[in-house]
Amino acid sequence: MKGPYFGDFGGQFAPETLMPSLQELESAWQSIGQSPSFRKEFNDLLKNYAGRPTPLTPCRRLGEAWGLELWLKREDLLHTGAHKLNNALGQALLAKHMGKTRILAETGAGQHGVATATVCALLDLECVVYMGSVDAVRQKTNVLRMELLGARVEIVEHGQKTLKDAVNEALRAWTGDPDAHYLLGSALGPHPFPALVADFQQVIGKEAVQQIADQADASPDLVVACVGGGSNAIGIFRAFEEDASVRLVGVEAGGDGVETGRHAARFSGGTPGVLHGCRTWLLQNEDGQILPTHSVSAGLDYPAVGPEHAALHALGRAEYASATDEDALTALQALCKREGILPALESSHALGWVQQNQDDLRGKRVLVNLSGRGDKDLAIIFETLGLGT
Amino acid sequence: MNHFNRLEHATQTLRETNQRGVAPYLTAGDGGLTTTLAVLHALEKAGATCVELGFPFSDPIADGPILQAAAQRSLEAGTTFADTLEMVATYRKEGGELPLAFMSYINPLLQHGGLSSTCQRIAYAGADALVVPDLPLEESEELEKVCWENRLAPILFAAPTSGDARIQKAGSRSHGFLYVVGRVGITGGSTAFDNTTQEFLQTARRLSNAPIAVGFGIRTADDIRSATKYADLAIVGTALVEKLHYSKDPAKTAFDFLKELQSGLNA
Repeated sequence: MKGPYFGDFGGQFAPETLMPSLQELESAWQSIGQSPSFRKEFNDLLKNYAGRPTPLTPCRRLGEAWGLELWLKREDLLHTGAHKLNNALGQALLAKHMGKTRILAETGAGQHGVATATVCALLDLECVVYMGSVDAVRQKTNVLRMELLGARVEIVEHGQKTLKDAVNEALRAWTGDPDAHYLLGSALGPHPFPALVADFQQVIGKEAVQQIADQADASPDLVVACVGGGSNAIGIFRAFEEDASVRLVGVEAGGDGVETGRHAARFSGGTPGVLHGCRTWLLQNEDGQILPTHSVSAGLDYPAVGPEHAALHALGRAEYASATDEDALTALQALCKREGILPALESSHALGWVQQNQDDLRGKRVLVNLSGRGDKDLAIIFETLGLGT
Repeated sequence: MNHFNRLEHATQTLRETNQRGVAPYLTAGDGGLTTTLAVLHALEKAGATCVELGFPFSDPIADGPILQAAAQRSLEAGTTFADTLEMVATYRKEGGELPLAFMSYINPLLQHGGLSSTCQRIAYAGADALVVPDLPLEESEELEKVCWENRLAPILFAAPTSGDARIQKAGSRSHGFLYVVGRVGITGGSTAFDNTTQEFLQTARRLSNAPIAVGFGIRTADDIRSATKYADLAIVGTALVEKLHYSKDPAKTAFDFLKELQSGLNA
């Protein structure tokens, strides 16, 4: 196992009160979490409860339209509708073995909150989810789902009232309740979270490597994934990192366009700093105050990126680009009309980048991680596109 | 006595004479930096042992709603790092002698050319110590080194969750004082100084080389009385920041409130 750092990024910038909890978690992950019996239990849940392996789908019609060979890793078909369940299952199972009875979580789009509420119901754990009020409005059905699953949803009314503020509040709640387990939803936060979350998400890439070898009899030329905190991206990237012939592309939220300042593209508009416990790339002003972000997708609307991505970026092993709100919505409609698949707004950013770059990608074999399904986004899609009433 | 700096001199003197003190916390720029400057002078006149001066941060994860709101007001009023340091320098130029512990979350300290450069500026402006609430022992080595180079006292934390080994480490690496978090949680609210808390403070006092300051949830003269049974210093933040926000004459309010709090010291 690695230490707290990925190159110059990561670390453990947490208040003293939380340090013993972080150390307890790391130690449980290294011992219980690596044991064959834990892994067997986790894998059984992934298979028989969550529905793994998820399929790898060739998209012939859309690929033809874009002049490339398009494959989708279908995390949208996982139970609860996104890759978030992999991590929620892993961490909740670990927490259960640690003797924890209460789970705290943050959520942006609500997918992590729903996944956490789901596993807490399954494993009989108390569940409190922190969600910004702006996100709670734009992802209302997910709020209702969490409540239906027995979770308590705490609406966060300060700051920008989105994912960043939900993480702040969840960290504060954990500081006051260090016996609870904080089930962080993305590959960020203080060590061991970035590595722990990547551990539970790397099943995506492990399956995809095998599936594309079996179905295409080849490696992909590119692997493309959207990057908010970056857990779905790290989950698929890790399996392809060793193969230097595979281009890894992380797609951040370009919002209204990086040049407008209304975006969440940390690598093109940010600088290194520390937020939420780790050193990484941030959107901040010259005094280190965190800047507001914008994205049509609540899950990508966040000012920091996971530290392992910052390290891959520094190494040049992965490249990071962005897709605007409009690019994402255009690609979302194309996937609906040509393949009958409604992607989440988050995942649509990965597709949007492919569509915008189709000329350069002509004839390439492109694997996109379709991290979630878009049912949760219907209201905002209709509103943005001016459809329905 | 040859002390490291003004703060260590003040806290060691308390320890040597078996006295106790009050350390008020202020959010720099809440109500404007001119107000902060006036409040610093008032607190000095009232006899504060030292002041913890908080540079506002957009995402203060160790703070409760009152200090979050104060930071947000300060930032909305346009408080910058440079202006805050200029205010500190002005306080010194005007003859201000209070030992000042500069509090900042780690991210602002990493900007403007990095730790070495920001700490040098903080020391040059006239601060005596540095408190960083999101920098645990595991991450603080570089900061401690830079503090030493600039004659800033590094102040580390001990919490009820820490355990003896961590308290001892933090106490031996802190100068001026060890910041002891009085209860599990964030700033604000109230702390019950029951047997468990007192035992923890007694342990911290025994294990720490540096004098100890207890903070979080101390609001009244009665709290001060209980808090300083074992602690050398009691830090009062949220209660003061709240009073100053609603005051028409913050300097007078600060003076009166500090006097009131100090009445808890000798009873």
